[in-house]
Amino acid sequence: MMGRRRFFTGIIPTTVWTSIAIRSLSCNAEAKTVEQTSFLILSTTEAETLSAWCNVIVTGAGNAGVAQFVDQSLSRAQLASLLLLRYLDASDMTGFYRNGIAGIEKESAHRFAQPFVQLTKSQQTEMIADAVASKMQVWSDPDPNFFYFISRSDAVDVVYGTEAGFVDLGIPYLAHITPPQPW
Amino acid sequence: MAKTSHAKVEVLIVGSGIAGSTMAVELGEAGFNVLVLEAGPERQLSDMVSSQIWSRRLRWAGPEVLESGDLVGAANFAMGWGTGGAGLHWYANWYRLHPDDFHVRSLYGRSLDWPIGYDDLRPWYDHAQAYFGVSGDTDPNAPPGASYPMPAMPVSKQSSAIKKGFAAEGLTLTPNTLAINSEPYNGRAGCLLDGWCDAGCPIGALANPLVLQWPRARKSGVDLRHNAYVTRLETDASGSKVTGAVYLDETGQENFQPADIVISACHTIWNARLLLLSSNDQHPNGLGNCSGTLGQYFTSHALTTIHGLFSEETEPHTGVSGANTLCLDGYDDKQPTTGAFGSRAWLVGQAAKPNDLLGTALAKPDLFGEALNKYLRRASAHYGNMTVLCEEDSIPENRITLDPSKRDRFGLPQAHVTNSLPKENAARSDLAKAEGLRIFKAAGTSDAWAGPQNPMHMMGGTIMGRDPSASVTNSFGQLHKVDNVFIAGASLFPTPGAINPTATLAALVFRTADYIRSNRSALVP
Repeated sequence: MMGRRRFFTGIIPTTVWTSIAIRSLSCNAEAKTVEQTSFLILSTTEAETLSAWCNVIVTGAGNAGVAQFVDQSLSRAQLASLLLLRYLDASDMTGFYRNGIAGIEKESAHRFAQPFVQLTKSQQTEMIADAVASKMQVWSDPDPNFFYFISRSDAVDVVYGTEAGFVDLGIPYLAHITPPQPW
Repeated sequence: MAKTSHAKVEVLIVGSGIAGSTMAVELGEAGFNVLVLEAGPERQLSDMVSSQIWSRRLRWAGPEVLESGDLVGAANFAMGWGTGGAGLHWYANWYRLHPDDFHVRSLYGRSLDWPIGYDDLRPWYDHAQAYFGVSGDTDPNAPPGASYPMPAMPVSKQSSAIKKGFAAEGLTLTPNTLAINSEPYNGRAGCLLDGWCDAGCPIGALANPLVLQWPRARKSGVDLRHNAYVTRLETDASGSKVTGAVYLDETGQENFQPADIVISACHTIWNARLLLLSSNDQHPNGLGNCSGTLGQYFTSHALTTIHGLFSEETEPHTGVSGANTLCLDGYDDKQPTTGAFGSRAWLVGQAAKPNDLLGTALAKPDLFGEALNKYLRRASAHYGNMTVLCEEDSIPENRITLDPSKRDRFGLPQAHVTNSLPKENAARSDLAKAEGLRIFKAAGTSDAWAGPQNPMHMMGGTIMGRDPSASVTNSFGQLHKVDNVFIAGASLFPTPGAINPTATLAALVFRTADYIRSNRSALVP
């Protein structure tokens, strides 16, 4: 069966390379300016917090564009949303992310008197471990454990759920219809 | 605003999924003038993009369902939206209910009885498996029936790794039965085992309505109207006949579609909701609710997935999303120990990509950072899984209702599903979970763990029965006392057994279509 399929390691479609290249540009200040004006629903600060949060959960999620992924889907009708959240609670997806991001900041301020993006890696990791263990001190809504579950899924999507992510994991993609873009 | 009215049709079907489209073909080819109203947009095979991310577009995008109880949360994942409905992303696991599943009340004094038995459905199961195209081997634990039209899928590396665990428990693992072509069948391609069933099968190896039913339906003249959200059925002044359906089109305009026969085939929750929304002076508690049971006896399957990492390579990304192999040993023992009740079935070796609800990453949701990275690299080559489905008793407390305090986007009362697993069924599920962990350990996993208990499949709510005072429809899905309305789908099931419902759903559709054809002169003036 495998012989009938391309093994995608090293043979990534142009669209994937393009998208990787675009995302790698986000590391420099010029690209960041573009990104800052490109969010449709989230504020830049909200996007940065979400990106930093997801980046601790899945290394590389920030550069892979997790905040843009979430923002872009939130700007669409539910019909076109690519978020896993739509399976579990589609009643107010924007409110869910907004409140979750506010919860991160509230908890961060309570614990460390700083925004989440300015915490040390170990402080960020501590907060996420407590979200997993449902031990948040002041953040309760949305349920931090569920917010972790959903944001983790978003981070996994953009890092490992794309053709490039499959290549990274050594998994043949074997598409019937290749995605027009990663997300 | 005045309703837009349309020319009358003989048969109006609400919903274009597996139940609705199969019914449309059956009646269209019999010469009925058939119209199907689909709430969602038009779908094409090109929408079936091989990506767990993109596949989410195929899922439910209709009004939210409120859910409460300890076995809820699967509604938006399970339902579809657009041409073909959930048939665009179903897993094609294909099983017959067992003879005892039809007589649980009589045999065990609990749950319900069906108004028909296995022998009544057997010929329709045979017909359905030829129609859909089913691959599989003879399984001594499966009910009797015709041989499957195609040989079974090859045993996967996942199943090979897990099989010895079943042997250690004295259980037999057999090839799964699937509505997926193991070889070219009736003009459709054979499966490539690429593991993308969950994202839709654009090559048509998996029997989905875009390749199976809709080409035939269109050829027979069936009309399909998209973005048509049915809000209620109207009756004549006497309340004994439905005159047609009211629906909202994509502009929000209210339309009235007259019909001689209306068939509701819009998934379990929405079948019940549509009847509840159709209350009027003659039917104050909802259409077909003279018994008071409309919405009641909702059931699901209590699902637990066992995960493990194996020393050998398992190629978890390949195969089919449903399952590669199956264990029905012990299915008919509904009382395995005191205090536990219900059948169980093991579905083994589901294809798993890294992401999404059934992906390898979410199998270990507590891992993050480097631990997640390390796990995923190993899981990508060595992960194995199996899922147990356990029976849920049919009880009136588990039900679909309308919540008048919450309105959906169309201003209608939201559907509210309440479902909690009865104690004896929960004990059965716990037994199965322990059994699964033993199996994986005996198979030599370096790490085996169980996921949380979740619901899978939705059944009941418009149950069939002999007694009009205790059920919503007769055995043909025809409403008691409103005889030109039929229900198609798993909402008719009085009991769910412990196996995926689509084969039974399809067998019932064929049986009902035959009834309508045979009674045409009485049903169509």
